Amino acid sequence: MAGTAERPPAPPAVAEEKPFLWVARPLATAAKQFVKSLWRPSTVVYPFERLEDPKFRGQVGVASGKPIGVGEIWDNYRGVHALNINTCISCNLCAFSCPDVCIEMVNVPGGDPRHPKKCPQIDYGKCSFCGFCSDACPEGCLTMTTRYELSVHKREEMVYSPARMFEIFKSKLPMNPIRLERPKNEDQILLDPPICIGCNACARDCPTQCITMLDIPKPTPKPGEKMAKRIWKEPVINDSDCVRCGTCIAVCPKDCLFWGTRQ
Amino acid sequence: MVTLFSVSNTLSAALLGALAHILPTPLNGWATSSGVVTGLAALIFGAILLAASMLNTILLIWWERKLLGRFMDRRGAMHVGYAGLLQNFADGLKLFRKDTVRPGQADPLGFWLSPTAYMVTSLLIFGVLPISTGWNGGSLPLTLLLALVIFSFAPLFIFLGAWASNNKYSLIGGMRSAAQMIAYEVPILLAVVAVVIVAGSFDLTTIVQEQRDYWFAVPLFLALIVFLTGMLAEMERIPFDLPEAEAELVEGWNTEYGGMLFAFFMLADYLRALVGSILVVLLFLGGWTLPSYVPSVLTSFPLAGIVWFMVKTYIVFGIFVWIRASLPRIRTDQLLKLGWMRMVPLALLSIVLATLVVKAGCPPVLHCVPPMGG
Repeated sequence: MAGTAERPPAPPAVAEEKPFLWVARPLATAAKQFVKSLWRPSTVVYPFERLEDPKFRGQVGVASGKPIGVGEIWDNYRGVHALNINTCISCNLCAFSCPDVCIEMVNVPGGDPRHPKKCPQIDYGKCSFCGFCSDACPEGCLTMTTRYELSVHKREEMVYSPARMFEIFKSKLPMNPIRLERPKNEDQILLDPPICIGCNACARDCPTQCITMLDIPKPTPKPGEKMAKRIWKEPVINDSDCVRCGTCIAVCPKDCLFWGTRQ
Repeated sequence: MVTLFSVSNTLSAALLGALAHILPTPLNGWATSSGVVTGLAALIFGAILLAASMLNTILLIWWERKLLGRFMDRRGAMHVGYAGLLQNFADGLKLFRKDTVRPGQADPLGFWLSPTAYMVTSLLIFGVLPISTGWNGGSLPLTLLLALVIFSFAPLFIFLGAWASNNKYSLIGGMRSAAQMIAYEVPILLAVVAVVIVAGSFDLTTIVQEQRDYWFAVPLFLALIVFLTGMLAEMERIPFDLPEAEAELVEGWNTEYGGMLFAFFMLADYLRALVGSILVVLLFLGGWTLPSYVPSVLTSFPLAGIVWFMVKTYIVFGIFVWIRASLPRIRTDQLLKLGWMRMVPLALLSIVLATLVVKAGCPPVLHCVPPMGG
């Protein structure tokens, strides 16, 4: 029954203060605060000062929860990406792994004219900062930094070109050192030999150059049969170098490469 | 002795002398005649007063914002100009560019007249306030009375604007403002009577000169408290800002005013705050004088009197800001109870103290130097 519910204990009665103290106590409190903040108020004048500045370390505390996050930035903070163009192998894995489809591979200078070098260009208007791309990067050249300032005037400025992310890389910001342990991909790239025409496309486009075209014996045609039109070579994939980017599967004109487990 | 009148007379004579060179014969004699020179001198005098009072008002707003920031553990305006000095000019410019909208049902005459009259009556007081020896509009025998009379015009125009706005919040705010200002006129005037009894004059310059032995703040401490409280209520500052209680009445009596008309009300509010601080300094803190044991380096530079006067004024206003930062707004019944049942008896007691001070005589402690710079 509602009536039988116990009442919460009454709060202790506040002692009646003298009317003089109604005025004097707040005045004293304000004066104390004034003296305290006379030299330096707690405000961090943000564009000119930043909380990650070492001089603020440990000054501002969080009331509850972890004692980190204020006064310093987590080392595994996921901010703007840094891209090392020199080590990028154009494997496209970042773009594959992006759940927001915000990464586009664009040409950068440095590749040979027939097979231009491609590096990721990120649209921060779409990016959700999940970090999958930097986890997927086999070379560790796409990482996330602690930079968090992304306000721009135009939407076009939200798209970070590889050159711009290379600038961020060169500014040597603290980078996210934590990389998820990449699951060992048991799948390998297998070849369906009868279909292969030996066109060299996979070896040409492999970002790690782990595909070698090896000669295979040319069969003797039976009488009355035409010789098959193909180059008598077959790709052999070096599994230890392969980053499993799938580029070879994508470029194969005959779809003779596929994922599978070697028996 | 450089006075404000002599400065404006010199400026006027120089201007008209230069003009007489250009003008043809019958006119140049007229331009240099004494009547024209004096007339232009009066105009220049008014212009200087207007510029000085407006500049100080805007600086006062800056001072309040900075102080209030420190009381609240933050920085005030800080980006426009050095330490945000130009922020209020920027705000004023923004308000100046805004459209002023009169509500359809509002009474045009009252609506337009009230901010102007409020502003003008507040500015008028500066004509009689002495800033330093010789720096005033004229030494009438009753300047203090005149200043207080003009000061108490304000509720009339506030109520006029509140009624003309045709808005219930404005009307309630105007009513409260009128009630509050009338209630606190009485203790203010009684506290002033205590000062006048000791000084023996209604002339502000004489009152300052009478404080050469001791500042009236010491023997008339009760009167100072009553005067400060009354001034807080007259200025409608927190904790006595019932007329524009944001939580209950949208913006009080100036709810319907926007743009430059709002700026007029705002400026006039701070003008009145400036006048209140100046009156406290004049009546209780020795005006532009300093005790003789202050090193003469600090008191002998040109315009030292004005500088020290302004320093004192800004410190007094700082006390108002301190009170604003500390105390919450009080209720109407508390306000009236405080006014009639606490302040009036205290003021009467201070009058008794004042007569005792006159009767007993107080030994000179400060030896103030009255004519300190010009």
